[in-house]
Amino acid sequence: MTEARRLSLILAAALLALAAIFAGPTVLDTYSVNVLTRSLLYAAVALTVDLLWGYLGILTFGQSVFFACGAYAAGLVFTHMDFTPGNAALALALGIGAALFTAAIVGWLAFWHGASALYASVITLVLPIVATQLLYSGGTFTGSSSGLSGFTSFDLSTEAWFWLAGSFLVAMTTLAYIVVQSDAGRLLVAVRENEQRCKYLGLNTSRLKIRVYLACAVIGAVAGYIYAAYAMVVAPELAGFVFGTELVIWTALGGRGTLLGPVFGALIVDYESAQLSGNFPFVWQLIIGTVFVLVIVAFPRGLLPMLFDLPRRLLGLLRPRAAVARPARVALATLDAAQTQGAEVGNGPALAVTGVARRFGSLTVLDGIDFKARAGELVSLVGPNGAGKTTLMRCIADGAERSAGTIIVNGHDIGRRPPEACVALGVGRKFQMANVFETLTVAECLQIARARHSRPSLWRRAQRLPLPEAAMHVIATTGLDRQLSTPAHLLSHGLKQALELSMVLALEPRVLLLDEPTAGLTKTERMQIGAILIDLAKKQGLCVLLVEHDLDFVREISSRVIVLHQGRIVLDGSVEEVVASELVKQVYAGSGHAGIAHETAPKTGGQEVPA
Amino acid sequence: MSMPPTSTPPTSMPRMSPHPAPALGVVGLSSGYAGAVVVREVNLAIGAGEILAVLGKNGMGKSTLLKAVMGFLPKMAGSVTIAGTEATRLSPHRVARLGVGYVAQEKALFQDLTVEENLKLAVRGRDFAAALAEVEASFPFLLQRLRQRAGTLSGGEQKMLLMARSLATGARLLLVDEITEGLQPSVIDRLAGVIRSARERHGTTMLLVEQHLPFALAVADRWAVLDRGEIAEAGASIETGARERVLKHLSV
Repeated sequence: MTEARRLSLILAAALLALAAIFAGPTVLDTYSVNVLTRSLLYAAVALTVDLLWGYLGILTFGQSVFFACGAYAAGLVFTHMDFTPGNAALALALGIGAALFTAAIVGWLAFWHGASALYASVITLVLPIVATQLLYSGGTFTGSSSGLSGFTSFDLSTEAWFWLAGSFLVAMTTLAYIVVQSDAGRLLVAVRENEQRCKYLGLNTSRLKIRVYLACAVIGAVAGYIYAAYAMVVAPELAGFVFGTELVIWTALGGRGTLLGPVFGALIVDYESAQLSGNFPFVWQLIIGTVFVLVIVAFPRGLLPMLFDLPRRLLGLLRPRAAVARPARVALATLDAAQTQGAEVGNGPALAVTGVARRFGSLTVLDGIDFKARAGELVSLVGPNGAGKTTLMRCIADGAERSAGTIIVNGHDIGRRPPEACVALGVGRKFQMANVFETLTVAECLQIARARHSRPSLWRRAQRLPLPEAAMHVIATTGLDRQLSTPAHLLSHGLKQALELSMVLALEPRVLLLDEPTAGLTKTERMQIGAILIDLAKKQGLCVLLVEHDLDFVREISSRVIVLHQGRIVLDGSVEEVVASELVKQVYAGSGHAGIAHETAPKTGGQEVPA
Repeated sequence: MSMPPTSTPPTSMPRMSPHPAPALGVVGLSSGYAGAVVVREVNLAIGAGEILAVLGKNGMGKSTLLKAVMGFLPKMAGSVTIAGTEATRLSPHRVARLGVGYVAQEKALFQDLTVEENLKLAVRGRDFAAALAEVEASFPFLLQRLRQRAGTLSGGEQKMLLMARSLATGARLLLVDEITEGLQPSVIDRLAGVIRSARERHGTTMLLVEQHLPFALAVADRWAVLDRGEIAEAGASIETGARERVLKHLSV
């Protein structure tokens, strides 16, 4: 499907929804129109909960507060000042301003570098409680527990309010839908999936989260403003924890991560609650609660995904699906040499590590690490398991990791910079265990890896993905190009490794840190990737630091070997020197691959693994 | 690449054990993920105390085979028996109770628990002192690290803990997924001895999925190569030319 066609389909669906909204009052009774106007506005807030929770992975209980910001701005201005068009605009601006201010504080507290997902949930849980207390203590200004009512507002008919609320919801849903389907929307999922990998791909995830949070706050505030202007009453419950949690429940019921699910979840539950609370004043909450428990137990992903799965399941029973490779949406291309945008080279050496130490409490993992490496050098880091190799890699890629010493990368001192800033200086790090985005496809993973260089569009999906030559080589060598539309979690272990390596190469790093890049690959594939690495070092002047256990592989590709043992550098020299050394033979190398004999028995206590 | 014609798969591999039922019997097993068949009609019979190495290139279905046997993936066709007990439809914890240990490739340790707690959980209800003696025989350095959090061990050390833990459980059948990955050469040597010795002492049956060919051939009695989910070739490790026969399948 072409981009134009996809977008026009979305717009056509939006127009259809608008038509339904405009036809609504002609088929519904006045009571329903009244109730649904409120439900439509609540649904817009549920939409923001889904954006934050379903896509970005931030479970939030405090979206009610932003709704209340908009509602109370209208209530306070219209009560304490005259209702004029100017004041109406002022109230809207104040509502949005208050929501942005609150969201900025919450975002700063919840998403700073190093905050865990729990922070956001706890802070958004506290937020509505604080807001409600503030409204209670406002005396006659905020109306305390009874809120504000009886203020003048826009003179619109019931139908007009319904249309306004409906159009607002359709517009916001369409907008949100286009964004989550776009390339930028994949970025949200990537952050939810694996924030660490995002940071090591040079993406400032904290900033991204705060931006989405601010946008959601604005949507909530506008919905609240329309609500107050229409209902002509505001109460502290609007900011409350109960409403905030109801939003989460509607989202879960409808199906999080679907946008439409939470919207319909909010509409149906809120509308039915209004109906049932009339007919069954005492048991309706029990009914809602029971339904919620049943749905979550039977369909943990919510109602909408269940409805979509139903025909698929029924058809699936009739004919078992064969393995059909979906055609890839994105075509890979090799980036022109002129378009490459590696980090600027600074004045210092490619990599200089001086006096670096890393301690965990009383445990010293690294101590007095000193070495330099030039651009174009391929240095292998070998050493027994537990010698501190991975820790050293981590110290070079994240300024906050080391306990002492300085590190210069690509000519820049990394100071205490977080991983994403180290990437900007030219660092690329591949982890020991394949670290990719499990639910995203191969093509999407590669796109996220390029997001730092080519800003993903907020509404379009790229059809073409230009990658640096080295990344393309790895992809072609391992056959990843035939699996572009395969979700990463279905890849074999070796292919995941290859995918992560291509993602790191897509960053166009100047200093490449590779922690066992070829583990899980066959000897042939290893040698091919080795050739690509040599090429990167020799022709493009990259400085490569590689952790590797296969001494044959090390001998094949590296120009120099550093031996780490018990957190210290014990040898630094040419491949021949190191491999032939007594120390390496003693603490590291085995009897040689061919030498593993059938009758080898464990020599208990004889060959200690260095601690 | 040459492959035997698909019409004549090695339907039943010769058994070395005199026991009536194989320690692991796999007949016509097909498995995979939604919409993708990864393992096709695989037949295997491993006698008690036998070690079989499953080799093959990336993405050929080696790990999928282990996950299907263990019950982590649905079986689309075929059956699995463990020491004569029908295990085709059992969930992973029931398979484990039949005495099957699974050494997964990733995320297999409790990262926030200590080395000791990891071991204790695995040997649940059995003699912990005997389990520690088993650890001493395999990777004694772990005994000095009993109080350390498993997540703070290095990648290779975690692999060693994983193997030591599996051997200490007293499992009758071990399914081991690429244990040599990330291990230094001398430890791989040692591991070969550890595995052979455990088999001598306890008669443990093992199914090893491996990329490290010399290790696999040194440790296993027999080997089988998986190619696109099917067993393409199989043989005994001591036969001359085994290495070449496997390599033929590994190189493109």
